[in-house]
Amino acid sequence: MRQSEGMTLIVKTVTRISVWLIILYGIYIILHGHLSPGGGFAGGVIIALAFLNVMLAYGRNFITRWVNIGFLHDIESSSAAIFLAIGILGISVGGGFLANFISHGKLFNLLSSGTIPLFNIVIGAKVSMGLFIVVWTLAIFHLLDKGEKK
Amino acid sequence: MVIYILCFALLLVGIYGVLTKRDLIKIILSLGIMGYAVNLMFILFAYRSGATYAILVKGKAVAEMVDPLPQALILTSIVIELGTTAMLVALALRLFEKYKTFDITKIRRLSG
Repeated sequence: MRQSEGMTLIVKTVTRISVWLIILYGIYIILHGHLSPGGGFAGGVIIALAFLNVMLAYGRNFITRWVNIGFLHDIESSSAAIFLAIGILGISVGGGFLANFISHGKLFNLLSSGTIPLFNIVIGAKVSMGLFIVVWTLAIFHLLDKGEKK
Repeated sequence: MVIYILCFALLLVGIYGVLTKRDLIKIILSLGIMGYAVNLMFILFAYRSGATYAILVKGKAVAEMVDPLPQALILTSIVIELGTTAMLVALALRLFEKYKTFDITKIRRLSG
């Protein structure tokens, strides 16, 4: 068994199973942000921790091959623009910045409370990708510097 | 009253760490402890005994709630604390690259 980097086989196997459950739980927290405790920020942190789990178990070189960091960075950057776009749509349709412009729905339904679930999803994408990229950058800090010197 | 004093004691623990420790990582951790003490203080100000959380749930009777405003503020404060900690760690890594140590008494040469 090749053990080039990362933790032991037990940790890797457990991580392979549990990381999807952690991501699913984060998505659940984000989608139910307007009904229960939690929301975009809390769910985003949970998703970021799932990615960090993979990075700790498999090593920082694997995570660069597993996910496309540039794509995650694009998600993180564009989510701020989407937030702004929805807020400005509130000016043009609803009457004020971040104003609600779609149907409120029925109380305690999953599809309710207007634009708040949309904002939760956008904030979740922003927080999860931002937090993961911050820690990933700190992890490959000296590798980046060596690349510059060459 | 005693919980506020304990909260202040937590802040003092953080200040003690910042003032006496020589390791940069320990200083960053102490700054985190100070931040947690302040956050805890705000949440304790908002607390009312016998009140429920400020979220409407199906089947829950409308009753007295704790103040949700400090909780929203503290969520922002936690995010800012995260950003500050990440920046401090990045600066500490840069210093480690240059001086090969985290000991602040050995980081003395300002030039070169």
